[in-house]
Amino acid sequence: MEYGPHNAELTVHTKRAGAAAKAGHDLTLLVERWSATADGDTVTLEADPRSLTVVKGEGGITSLGQDEKDAIKQTIDEDVLPAEPIRYAGGQLTLNGVTRPIAVTFDGTEGRAEIKQTDFKIKPYSALFGTLKVADVVEVKVRTHG
Amino acid sequence: MVELDHRFETGKDEAYNWDAILDLDRIIPCVEGGKVLERESDEKAKAEIKVKMGAMSMTFRGTVEVTERDDAAHRAVLAVRSKDMGGSGYANADVTFALGDGGGAIHTEAKISGKAASMGEGVVQTVLDALIRDFTTKLAAI
Repeated sequence: MEYGPHNAELTVHTKRAGAAAKAGHDLTLLVERWSATADGDTVTLEADPRSLTVVKGEGGITSLGQDEKDAIKQTIDEDVLPAEPIRYAGGQLTLNGVTRPIAVTFDGTEGRAEIKQTDFKIKPYSALFGTLKVADVVEVKVRTHG
Repeated sequence: MVELDHRFETGKDEAYNWDAILDLDRIIPCVEGGKVLERESDEKAKAEIKVKMGAMSMTFRGTVEVTERDDAAHRAVLAVRSKDMGGSGYANADVTFALGDGGGAIHTEAKISGKAASMGEGVVQTVLDALIRDFTTKLAAI
């Protein structure tokens, strides 16, 4: 079975951290270009690291507008997520040139995995002199339509 | 009100430090996001500070003025009076510099209202502390 944006949704969910966490937003990022194949228990997935867009931001002292969402995308592309290909195969995730096993759970309609950014040599985003940060662990979800 | 105390080191003599902290064109840009908009006099400037919080930012605009100066003791108070340009809040502070050879002490009394204050006093204190620590490292190179 082939999957991709036409029949499923791949999202990344970040949480804010740090002393000034209240000023930040928990983000939902949609991966717009990816493909996967599932053959029994064997799943492989490839995603374009330049295709993450901000679809939702919860919390904060003001709500996120389109300008802020665009600015976050730019920050992800330029400062956080390197352009190295993202690939999941055989229980191993390759991200930023680092390959490590990750635990994926799947309940029939939704797959979930937690990814620790620093495990993949990604420096979690930090602002306001380090008082506002993105938590190291982000959650990835893939959900089939219908 | 939030009160904070910090020290800074410049490695320069007291007379140099005294001239530096009273020179608003030099000291205001030492605050991250701070810039002079217009000098009103030797001791007063219109200024703004843009505080970036990730993709969001808050801009406070107002004045910085030397309201007290003791040239013999090398003690001065700079008063910051500013309004949040994106809301109804304000950020005011009286910053007291007491200099010695090689550096000095900074005592800050700040009052913040509006959106920034809605994060809670503990958060405001932590962020201000981080802002002033950063300021002291920039003062070191003034």
